[in-house]
Amino acid sequence: MKKNPAPVDPALIVKKRHVNPRLLTGDIVRHLVLALLAAIWLVPIVWLICTSFSAYEGRNILRFFPENWTLSNYARLFSDTDSVSNFPAWFTNTFIVACFTCVISTLFVLMVAYAMSCMRFRGRRALMNTGVLLGLFPGFLTMICIYYILKELKLTDTHAGLILVYAGSSGLGYLIAKGFFDTISRSMIDAAKLDGASEAEVFWKVILPLSKPIIVYTVISAFLMPWMDFIFSNIIIKSRLSGDWTVAVGLYNMLHKSSVNTYFSRFCAGGVLVSIPISVLFVIMQKFYVESVTGGSVKG
Amino acid sequence: MKKRKHDGIRGFLPVRAAKSWLAGDAFVKLTPLLWGVGYIRRRQFVKGFLAILFEVVVVMFSISYGFPNIAKFGTLGTVRRETVYNPATMKNEVNQYDNSFLILLFGLVGLIVLAVAVIILMRIVAEARELQQKSEQGAHISTFREDIRELLNQKFHITLLSLPSLGIIVFTIIPLIFMILVAFTNYDQQHMAPTELFTWVGLDNFKRLFNNSLSETFGYSFGKVLGWTLVWAFFATFTCYFGGIALSLMINNKRTRVKKLWRTLFVICIAVPQFVSLLLVRNFFADTGIVNTFCSNVGITDFLKSIGLVGAYLDHIPFLTEAGWAKFMIILINFWIGVPYLMLIATGVLMNIPTEYYESAKIDGANALQTFNRITMPFMLSVTGPYLITSFIANINNFNVIYLLTQDVYFTMDTKLAASNAKDIDLLVTWLYRLTNDYYNYKMASVIGILVFIVCAVFTLLAFNYTFRKGREGRFQ
Repeated sequence: MKKNPAPVDPALIVKKRHVNPRLLTGDIVRHLVLALLAAIWLVPIVWLICTSFSAYEGRNILRFFPENWTLSNYARLFSDTDSVSNFPAWFTNTFIVACFTCVISTLFVLMVAYAMSCMRFRGRRALMNTGVLLGLFPGFLTMICIYYILKELKLTDTHAGLILVYAGSSGLGYLIAKGFFDTISRSMIDAAKLDGASEAEVFWKVILPLSKPIIVYTVISAFLMPWMDFIFSNIIIKSRLSGDWTVAVGLYNMLHKSSVNTYFSRFCAGGVLVSIPISVLFVIMQKFYVESVTGGSVKG
Repeated sequence: MKKRKHDGIRGFLPVRAAKSWLAGDAFVKLTPLLWGVGYIRRRQFVKGFLAILFEVVVVMFSISYGFPNIAKFGTLGTVRRETVYNPATMKNEVNQYDNSFLILLFGLVGLIVLAVAVIILMRIVAEARELQQKSEQGAHISTFREDIRELLNQKFHITLLSLPSLGIIVFTIIPLIFMILVAFTNYDQQHMAPTELFTWVGLDNFKRLFNNSLSETFGYSFGKVLGWTLVWAFFATFTCYFGGIALSLMINNKRTRVKKLWRTLFVICIAVPQFVSLLLVRNFFADTGIVNTFCSNVGITDFLKSIGLVGAYLDHIPFLTEAGWAKFMIILINFWIGVPYLMLIATGVLMNIPTEYYESAKIDGANALQTFNRITMPFMLSVTGPYLITSFIANINNFNVIYLLTQDVYFTMDTKLAASNAKDIDLLVTWLYRLTNDYYNYKMASVIGILVFIVCAVFTLLAFNYTFRKGREGRFQ
């Protein structure tokens, strides 16, 4: 898919010793600017990590680095559960929701993508245009209605309700996977069909094995959705019991005016703990993210 | 593969169904009464049974939910909820009241179910007639097993799409139509179901958007919020776009060392979930936050006071608490979040620019600026053009940045905005969100939602029209 960067010109390596002074100043300036920018970009992250080890509970407005370092914020996150903080429960809740969402929406996305990419049927264009049209409405406009529907079904404040909200209309997010399927050579599909394979067999035995990158991308992004999302969970979860919250709702409530001065360091510790698995998944996904956005238009 | 036989008589479904019914035998004529009878006559027992089962479900739903609610659809209910003392049981009892919300919802669902059922029935009639013709000609009539096999082959798209479509219909389309309908009712805090009734009010809510009087400030607020939404979307999109390209050009320069390290440093910032990083940054820049302490110690606060950027009566820089500063900071913080994304995308695109372009430019004696203007930028634009459009739309709907940075922190000074629950720094979507979540003003929220859709649709159409008319996408392929 991607072209390797052009191999380094051997002439360049030889020349390096007698480098043009103008180029050299350019290099130094460029590296300095990059270092400065990276430093600026990382300031809040460093602050997050440092504060999570701070012995002071609230917001320390006088010092960037904590006076006394401690691990107690992490320990208390797991040992002390009260009406504001219940990190183990939040983590479990979010994890359960994420697993189910991941399975359902991956299936939905791949199914829709295959139908739209590899099959030709009446109404295909119309369905795709409908998808584009639906995407132009603000996503949570519908949430008010969905909230009351879930309430009628007694599903608010439950895992099932959240899973339905996240995975229910996930089929609309098929475009990236479709872009990938579009690049798979038609001749392979035709050959399989000549050998007597049905569409279902082509889907399972030809397309899916060839689509590992996009499956990884879909799985990870579906799994990350409940971890990253704040707005939907904030609408669906109205419970006052801290054990019912997800990570996003819980951490947000920790910073409520009445609790920020006792929980700020623990918020940071929680933030770090959530960020670690997400970062790892994100770095894996990053490569596919680029390919997905630049889409089929870039073919190396 | 053999084409299906009835492909030849494809036509407008109602016409086809009517013709089939008129021409059909007794079993086809009976089909609208007992849906599966046409199948069962031709020995398609499973299909016939399923059709009858479907009919029973539709009829039962319509009788218990559909029709009663569709009947009240015109008024959305007339009987208010009341608690009456019942002398017989010596208890307070709730009367048989109308719940406008459920009437609207089940009425809508009932209508959709009826419409779908009618379409399916018409197909069944047409199919029953085909089966009759086939059996008269002595042609093969497919068994249930063959039908299933077809669903995994030629009709595989139906198998694939049915569940996801059901999800989209239930969780997007029905709620969306519901909310569009709410825009034409008076559903708000004074008319909350189930205790109160709400009803149709026609275009009144839309008229309020153009009203601007002392008591009615929605027109004023809408103008201001829409203006800021567009300004924000413009700056948020283009600052990040060019910032990201500049950064990726620096990192991907042939002579930059440890490219991967630089890239990773920036990616770390976006791997932290937004609700963590934004809530953190909000405390970072709080009125009594660490940045303010630093600025006043170093003397920046006094300097800004002396040039008039910070009010003389303040002892801190109002980063997120004063309209002008907050707008500037929001765009700046969004730049912090957005640039690494664009850096990633731009890197991907840059690596795909064919090196021959640069080589020939070099031979022609082009300098760095010319190469950038003539090769890098046009290529970049042609590949990321669609992304720019979607990103502009996404920024119009960018809820996270504004809400997480300013909720509970920013309070508007503008009484006219406050009267309609808006703030200077609100986007249409954050305003919509607060109207529903905090103020239960569903009718106006729905109106705003429809207008957001119109704004997005206009920009999408303009942008796509522009890209396709110029035929720009073909230039580098």
